[in-house]
Amino acid sequence: MNPIDRRSFIKALAAAPAASVLAVPAHAQGKPKARVVVIGGGFGGATAAKYVKMLDPAIEVTMIEPNKIYTSCPLSNEVISGHRDLASLQVGYDKIAARGVNVLHDLVESVDPMKKTVRTKGGKTLSYDALIMSPGIDFKYDSVEGYDEKVAEILPHAYKAGPQTTLLKKQLEAMPDGGVFIISVPPRPIRCPPGPYERAAQVAWYCKTHGKPKAKVLILDANDSHSKQALFRQAWRELYGYGKGEMIEWVPAAEDGKVVRVDPKTRTAYTNFGEHKADVLNLIPLHHAGHIALKTGLANERGWCEVVPMTMESAVHKDIYPVGDACIAGELPVYDMPKSAHMANTQAKVAAGAIVAKINGLPPPTPWYVNTCYSLAGENYGFSVVHIYRVENNKFVYITAAGGVSPADAPAQGDKAAVKVPRVQYALEAQYLMGWWRNIMADAFA
Amino acid sequence: MHRGVWYALAVGGLAVAGIAHASGTIEALARTCNNCHGVNGVSAGDGMPSIGGLPEGYLKTVMMEWKEGKRYSATMGRLIKGYTEEEIAGLAAYFSKLPWTPVAQKTDSKLVERGKQATQSCVSCHGPTGKAAMPTAPNLNGQNAKYLEMEMRKYLDDSIPMPAMMRMMAKQVKPEDLEAVAHFYASQK
Repeated sequence: MNPIDRRSFIKALAAAPAASVLAVPAHAQGKPKARVVVIGGGFGGATAAKYVKMLDPAIEVTMIEPNKIYTSCPLSNEVISGHRDLASLQVGYDKIAARGVNVLHDLVESVDPMKKTVRTKGGKTLSYDALIMSPGIDFKYDSVEGYDEKVAEILPHAYKAGPQTTLLKKQLEAMPDGGVFIISVPPRPIRCPPGPYERAAQVAWYCKTHGKPKAKVLILDANDSHSKQALFRQAWRELYGYGKGEMIEWVPAAEDGKVVRVDPKTRTAYTNFGEHKADVLNLIPLHHAGHIALKTGLANERGWCEVVPMTMESAVHKDIYPVGDACIAGELPVYDMPKSAHMANTQAKVAAGAIVAKINGLPPPTPWYVNTCYSLAGENYGFSVVHIYRVENNKFVYITAAGGVSPADAPAQGDKAAVKVPRVQYALEAQYLMGWWRNIMADAFA
Repeated sequence: MHRGVWYALAVGGLAVAGIAHASGTIEALARTCNNCHGVNGVSAGDGMPSIGGLPEGYLKTVMMEWKEGKRYSATMGRLIKGYTEEEIAGLAAYFSKLPWTPVAQKTDSKLVERGKQATQSCVSCHGPTGKAAMPTAPNLNGQNAKYLEMEMRKYLDDSIPMPAMMRMMAKQVKPEDLEAVAHFYASQK
């Protein structure tokens, strides 16, 4: 092919839709151009594996994931409230495999960043040119005295979707009217920052519509503020009642909200100075990056993986790209990247783009980090937070001109008139939430 | 950088399917839209619109109206303010070049028939079956039904800012026919 023909060829490819052209492997035969290994098949890992393969089919991509079925954490609070079943959130990896990704159901035991190899429990050793590390989170169970993996069967965290979600739902069903449902929130950073507060709304929704109008949802928080705070306040108040003596109550750390000890026998949560007896105790323990990221030495002293903003490459080890909930990005406490499915998905695309460019001797493409995170507080009552980050001088910069949360009502203040948000806002976002979820599931797993 | 990459690809002999996609700046930006609007802008549904293959003029206008606060949006306004006018133009051009793909949906045949009768006032801009008849009008054929219905309800809600022309036209449709109109367009190939 002469240079002119080649140029036309590439231009034609660029103009054509990705699915029709790139689904066909260009190098179906022979030695792969390079090997990419992906650890973890969640939103981060699946997206990364798919996009590396889509962007350059000549690269061999192997995704290692112990589970054959993935259960989406987004929307799993709706399982607890009985608005959907767990199966509706599940997806297999057959479509990713059909794209040419080798899906290996195994558990990674160790990574050697020097030899660039991955060893699995099943006894396989895989070498890589680039490794995408997307193990999600693991819990520091002993962050709360009296809690461990076994106690989690009595006091569920339900912060990894699956059997834990079903367990919490069953406990809620069995809770008597007038019962107390406690949600214990660990210190940030946590995955799905609005998750515990959406859960409070969903539990209240269930209680209100299932003959438990006297139930109480008590949030014991190790933090003094939380995601979408004004919106949750507003929705809780409007839909279920919020505050002392109402259905939902929130106790921040400053008011002794941090749970330090639990007694599983009596389902009691102890704070520094008080104790709260629960009928259902949803104890969410402190998180850190998945064990394999820690074992590989990728995490900082707080247990999270720091990354190079342009590429998502690890700040510690070359050719390893941590994505998703396991990494920490952005310095400001308010503007650090939230641990969400959407964030994991865009981080994975940045990593995939950078890896494919590097393998082909090209500079990394401009990275884009975008997050949209919807919460459903009740019937036709959804709202969101949006984040956009750009990279400037090799730093993550949160774009303050954009982003932010959905508007909330506000009382008149000084010269400012009162704001009453048209409720169509929340009805639209309740619907968008479903559309977002269907599309991100397709983007990551299909 | 964009042009530099073309040069590297053409001269350096890295002609492999997809590398161009890894490096094009707008393509990388457009990839972040897939999360909500579907791969290649074809939405998997439930209230999210497909955007791949909509006319460039329409896409650019809508995005700029959000950026400038002239058109109400529940979510997109907050996103689009993070993009420059140049990036918006790039995205509009990029998505307009993808093929418009009507999405097969469950529709109610009675509603479809009723909807067809109620779309007389829509034809001059959106065509008889929803294939856009002018560069600033979107295709409606095979667009997500729930999205279409919700979007029309936005035009009927005077408490939120929406472009005047379409607001006037939307009000030609009776509110009780909106769902039927949405089903009609959603059913068109």
